[in-house]
Amino acid sequence: MQGLNICVSSQTPLVQFLARERTARRSRRGEGPVELEALEQGVDYRFSPGGVTRMVYPFLRRGLEGGLLRSAHWVALNPHAPPLARLHGVILHHTSLEHRRLSGYSKTKESLWGAVHGTGDPRGRDELFWTEDFSEYTYYNRATAERIRELDRTNDFDLFYVHDFQQLPTGEMLRTPKFKVFRWHIPFDERTLPADWKPTLVRLLNSYDIVVASSRRYLAAIRALGYTGRTELLYPYLDPEEYGQPARPEIDATCARWGIAAEDDVALVVGRMDPMKGQDQAIRAFERVAQGHPRLKLVLVGNGSFSGSRGGLGLSKSQLWHRSLERLAAKLGVGPRVIFTGYVDQRGLDCLYERSRFTLLPSSEEGFGLVAVESWLHRRPTLVSERAGVAELVSASKDELLIDPADPADIARKMKGLLDGGSRAEELGRAGHDWSRQCWIDSALSEESRLISGAIEA
Amino acid sequence: MRAFPDFLTPYLPFVYAAIILLATWAVASIVRVLIGRALRGSVPQAAVGASRIGASIVWVCGVILAVQELGVGTTILLVLVALAGVAAIVAAREPLENASARYFADIYVPFRVGDSVEVGPYAGTVIEINAMSTVLLSKDDLLVSVPNTRFVRDVVVNTSPQAWKEVAVPISLGGSIDLPSFESALMKSLSKLRPRLDRRFPPMLVVRNRSPQGTELTLTVMLRTPGERATIATEVNSRVGEVLASLSGASR
Repeated sequence: MQGLNICVSSQTPLVQFLARERTARRSRRGEGPVELEALEQGVDYRFSPGGVTRMVYPFLRRGLEGGLLRSAHWVALNPHAPPLARLHGVILHHTSLEHRRLSGYSKTKESLWGAVHGTGDPRGRDELFWTEDFSEYTYYNRATAERIRELDRTNDFDLFYVHDFQQLPTGEMLRTPKFKVFRWHIPFDERTLPADWKPTLVRLLNSYDIVVASSRRYLAAIRALGYTGRTELLYPYLDPEEYGQPARPEIDATCARWGIAAEDDVALVVGRMDPMKGQDQAIRAFERVAQGHPRLKLVLVGNGSFSGSRGGLGLSKSQLWHRSLERLAAKLGVGPRVIFTGYVDQRGLDCLYERSRFTLLPSSEEGFGLVAVESWLHRRPTLVSERAGVAELVSASKDELLIDPADPADIARKMKGLLDGGSRAEELGRAGHDWSRQCWIDSALSEESRLISGAIEA
Repeated sequence: MRAFPDFLTPYLPFVYAAIILLATWAVASIVRVLIGRALRGSVPQAAVGASRIGASIVWVCGVILAVQELGVGTTILLVLVALAGVAAIVAAREPLENASARYFADIYVPFRVGDSVEVGPYAGTVIEINAMSTVLLSKDDLLVSVPNTRFVRDVVVNTSPQAWKEVAVPISLGGSIDLPSFESALMKSLSKLRPRLDRRFPPMLVVRNRSPQGTELTLTVMLRTPGERATIATEVNSRVGEVLASLSGASR
């Protein structure tokens, strides 16, 4: 089969630009895309946090290199970025949203997120699709669909791959007979959704030929809602080659930045600052363990999502959550031993994984939880929330590794098990490494390839 | 001062006629291109036919003017053209009736692609509505092509569940109006009708056709009670008009 022309669309862009003026100057110099390879990662730009970008980019890059893809275009919301950029052949089209529309769009998104996760204030949620805020969400999706349509006229795409709930209406708005795949990244439980939403959600989902989700549970719920098309289970994936094993001096230097001494034990939580990520439960569990393990430190890595970042949409939810966690740690008397690192780049993360005894994923809801897989890549065991999609991969030792995110006592008991179990933690780390293979890009690429090329040929 | 030498004067009508024919050729070419572009989204055969008809009309006008310039009487020519026009209309009566029936059915007869309908002895799911006919897929998997005129002459029964709820409003959006802005503004305006509409089904805007001149859309709202159909349809149309007017004003 000849390589495919693919158009990916997601709200979150691949990169955020840090040095806007310098990038703008480069952007003005030529009419073509800004070449990211000529810029400096970490200075001019950085990769957006989150699972979407972490898996989509390696897929596109490998797809181009391996011939599965002939061209790859990625349309995403990136208000402060140059309109066109390119990285290793992947062409990034950045759209923007007027400031006056941003608030309504974000409120709608939060409301959808809250309903899907069963959190937030449910009052007035039934009426969401009739609110003025929703009209801005509609605007964003229509503007994205129009941009994709323009690109399709010049690129004649073979398929459209739309990512996540922010862009659900885009598929219906595209009105094309070409192939459309929708990837649902967040949890899905049709029982938590307002009854009045269901006909609209079914209609929007049915505009896609395939819906892909990250867990069997979510796929069953999507079908139970009334989706009649094809569903596919595809675990999120990453490229293990992107995860290095830093040398001891580098690890020590990185840890010294946050006051982690050589004799300290580290329990690691990696995730954006969001109540959903359950950092508060990790702190409560840590408080129960801390007295018996005086050298243990709880390290919380992450700041906001793309939506919450200054380079992104600039919402402040993460800052509020960060402050409340600091207050909680102080109140429980463990403030000095809870370390907030903020954003850490991949190299720094590798150091922290290597330095940790284990990782915690205490999310109350989690679409998948690639951080568990990252931890397994470093052969570190992870205590995984039973509400996370990745819990499906824990095929043994469930009693030791799966935690109830609502029960700090359960989390603390399992933390103690890993801390006091001698070599058991290492065994579980090795088991995790084996489970992680299901999320390695090589196997996932062949699955993606089978999915899209098989579907198009059919 | 004289513009032309005397010996050229007898030839001037021929020169003018030639210029007229040259201009006619240019205008006919432009008309052909414009019609072709306007009908790009329709059936190619129909677009080619319409382009030819448009260009032919321009040629007829140009030839009459050129003949007139040569001093030849054009009355007979005009009569012949008129007769040809009448003959063409008589010959195309059925297609014209169907095309205009489609226009009226679109506005006044409540069904759309995907609905199950009965018209006369025919029944099936509507799978296509084109300028000439509405194509039904019958229960025994047969394609039934029903001329559009039947949908304005006969009793049409829409047997789709809760079809009474649906009010579909066709909208033409000028090329200068931004579709996302229009949709957003329209949704805001229609949210005021929420108490009268089925809240499980928010208003839905679907693009039916696009051309350089604009975009053809269908807005669908779902009623809460059947008795309010006419009132809601009027109100929705009025709001569509207001949003269009406000955006047209803004784009000027």
